[in-house]
Amino acid sequence: MDFSLNQEQEMFRGYVRKYLDGAGQTKTARAYIEGETGSLRALLSGLAELGCTSINISEDYGGMGLGPLDLIPVLEETGRSLLPGLYLETNALAVPLLEKFGTEEQKGRYLAEIAAGTKTFSLAWLEPGGSYGPFGINLEARSLNGQLILSGVKTMVPDAELADHYIVLVRTGKGNRNEGITLVIVDRNETNLTLESQKNIDETRQLSALAFNDVEIPMGQVLGAMHQGWDALQEGLLSFNAALSAVIVGCMEKVVEMAAEYAKIREQFGQPIGRFQAIKHRIVDMKMDLETARSLAYYANWALESGAEDRVQAISCARIFATKAFVRISSDNIQIHGGIGFTEEIDCHLFVKRARFYENYLGSTEQYYKQAATALGW
Amino acid sequence: MDFSFTTKEEEFRLELRAWLEGNLPEGWLEGISNVSKDEGEYAVSLRNWQRKLYEGGWAAIAWPKKYGGREATLMEEIVYQQEMVRVKAPALVNYVGIHMVGPTLMQIGTDEQKAKYIQKILTGEEVWCQGYSEPNAGSDLSAIQTSAVKDGDRWIINGQKVWTSFGHLADRCFLLARTNRFDKKHKGITVFLLDMNQPGVETRPIIQMDGQHDFNEVYLNDAIAYDAEIVGEVDEGWKVTIALLMHERTGIGAQVFTLEQQFNELVGLAKELKEDDKPLLGNPLVRHTMVDLYTRSRGSLLNYYRNLTKTLKNGHPGAEGSMDKLMVSELTKELLSQSISLQGHKGVLWKEDAISSNSYWQDNYLYSFGQTIGGGTSEIQKNTIGERILGLPKDMGR
Ligand SMILES: Cc1cc2nc3c(=O)[nH]c(=O)nc-3n(C[C@H](O)[C@H](O)[C@H](O)COP(=O)(O)OP(=O)(O)OC[C@H]3O[C@@H](n4cnc5c(N)ncnc54)[C@H](O)[C@@H]3O)c2cc1C
Repeated sequence: MDFSLNQEQEMFRGYVRKYLDGAGQTKTARAYIEGETGSLRALLSGLAELGCTSINISEDYGGMGLGPLDLIPVLEETGRSLLPGLYLETNALAVPLLEKFGTEEQKGRYLAEIAAGTKTFSLAWLEPGGSYGPFGINLEARSLNGQLILSGVKTMVPDAELADHYIVLVRTGKGNRNEGITLVIVDRNETNLTLESQKNIDETRQLSALAFNDVEIPMGQVLGAMHQGWDALQEGLLSFNAALSAVIVGCMEKVVEMAAEYAKIREQFGQPIGRFQAIKHRIVDMKMDLETARSLAYYANWALESGAEDRVQAISCARIFATKAFVRISSDNIQIHGGIGFTEEIDCHLFVKRARFYENYLGSTEQYYKQAATALGW
Repeated sequence: MDFSFTTKEEEFRLELRAWLEGNLPEGWLEGISNVSKDEGEYAVSLRNWQRKLYEGGWAAIAWPKKYGGREATLMEEIVYQQEMVRVKAPALVNYVGIHMVGPTLMQIGTDEQKAKYIQKILTGEEVWCQGYSEPNAGSDLSAIQTSAVKDGDRWIINGQKVWTSFGHLADRCFLLARTNRFDKKHKGITVFLLDMNQPGVETRPIIQMDGQHDFNEVYLNDAIAYDAEIVGEVDEGWKVTIALLMHERTGIGAQVFTLEQQFNELVGLAKELKEDDKPLLGNPLVRHTMVDLYTRSRGSLLNYYRNLTKTLKNGHPGAEGSMDKLMVSELTKELLSQSISLQGHKGVLWKEDAISSNSYWQDNYLYSFGQTIGGGTSEIQKNTIGERILGLPKDMGR
């Protein structure tokens, strides 16, 4: 029995934390809100230099060939500092999809770029109808002269402006529930592709609408089998959700730390407020949530890495618990801070907003409940 | 990360399984537990079970070999807990003796005490209870008033204990009494190994809300204890108490595994119960609640494994035990509450009228209220976690 990250993983966490602390933790996120992207880019290339972007990429393509558990330290640390950008989407969604379904050519090109830290991916999934199901995919992809012609609209594409490539869910055939959908890789600078940003409560992340006006892409950009993209996406989402849980654990850890630290120094009625049980017990509840989220997230990533039988339920439960608990404890954190917690100046609100961003991110909470129940055989 | 058990641990499991198959009361494995309704008979059967465990070498597996144990590793203790929970083994009547008093005496008892008590704890010949709580000393144990006054080589003890589990079955009591008054309330307490079979000790049953009788009031009227029955130093009993509590290293384990088992049984119940001829588990609201409970039950099991890993690495348990106890007891209560809700109005039918076999859910539901109180209330656990793990300032009273 050994349920812990190993020494190398913890050591690596140490490097990443030191680096992000050095950059002022949430300072980069705040600069990003102000529209300043230079420091984010610098920080991301620093992380790439540390090796963060190549961890889970095969050695053949310039990576370290490690697994999901090795990604946890980076994910948690980026969560702690609310790092903007597409690390999660690139390394925990695009990479596993490319590794599993990519052609030699795609791997050679994209994985090598990701490993080097020069390129990032986003996912263009949702459409104005708002459905997360396969029926919601209407963006049309017609084959013509060995090419695919894409026309339609995607919304709520995360950080579209920062991404170099998008994985796009397109409709290539009628098919039944899971068929007729294909994943294609589209470069951002493709002609006939326009981008319109959408206002987002979590200003540390961007959302955009993408309009495809007969965007022409070669067949070589299809990721995985034609018409089978939905199932491939589900595979990718397992990796993504296991990783998302770890990011949230990092966020939650920071929130609990903020609450506990503040409760030790803020005095009222001649006492540190942490002596009052209404405060103390609430912070303990937050801590319990944090540790439970962590256990579930570690196990989910272990189940993913080892291909355990219970991986689907483990991953959906980790995601459900983490997203809900993060909303809960980041809200409590504001209450514990009192008036100052309600200001823009203190970080509390940034965590609430990020919690809401993740709550229904790439799949609704309800959908993951259903997935868990089905995986449990109920 | 590694969630497997070693070959040696698995062999240990099989050995225990085989033994249980041969030695559990007749029909037990098939779910027929003919527990006597007569208190006396029940007590005898529990003692017999303890004796059987002893004879099979399964009474105190963690004890050193020289005291009749197996020097089981922490992981073997976990396997042991899992297996005992799996077969819903009869209660261990000498729990206090085996898990707490015995190990404490080995650590700080005199040679004479070791010789006199340890073997009898193992065989079940002497059953122990713990006499801490008093009417005015619950969460604040240092407020105890029971007094012990020196009289030659004897001590005369007067006072009242309450909530003494197994007190009515016990031969001896690990008793806290005040021998001195200092400014510091924790000083001046002494631990006695009190003989329960004497005229000065009167035990009165307290009937619990589940209709059972496990705990008692114990009245001490000029009860006698001797110098030789003091553990550690006079007035320094607080240290002994802490040492004793540290020995309770795997208690939570059993509860975590019981929680897991009860969750699976709850799923069974939700499949069995029908709503318009369809299993209740198909109802989206029920599924939602069940996924929530599953998630948190898994979470508490995994938390436990993570803390266990820490203990295995550090060689000693940390304050995280409080987190396990808090979470498991609260979740158990919630899970059992859900079991009653699922049954609808019929959830109130009790005993032989209960819709589930043997009133299993109703009994466990009622019993669960004690779990967030006994062994330290949830509020006290939260104080401990807040102060020892999060470093928050101490509670005003302490
Ligand atoms: C099933 C069971 C078995 C038991 N077995 C034994 C036994 O064998 N031997 C034995 O000696 N005792 C035993 N006990 C007693 C048990 O240890 C006490 O009941 C427990 O410590 C609480 O004390 P109390 O009942 O006096 O409640 P109180 O201490 O009076 O508490 C009442 C309420 O006030 C809260 N409270 C008290 N202090 C604080 C504080 N500082 N901060 C916040 N809230 C506070 C409590 O959490 C609780 O909600 C048993 C109890 C149960 C339920």
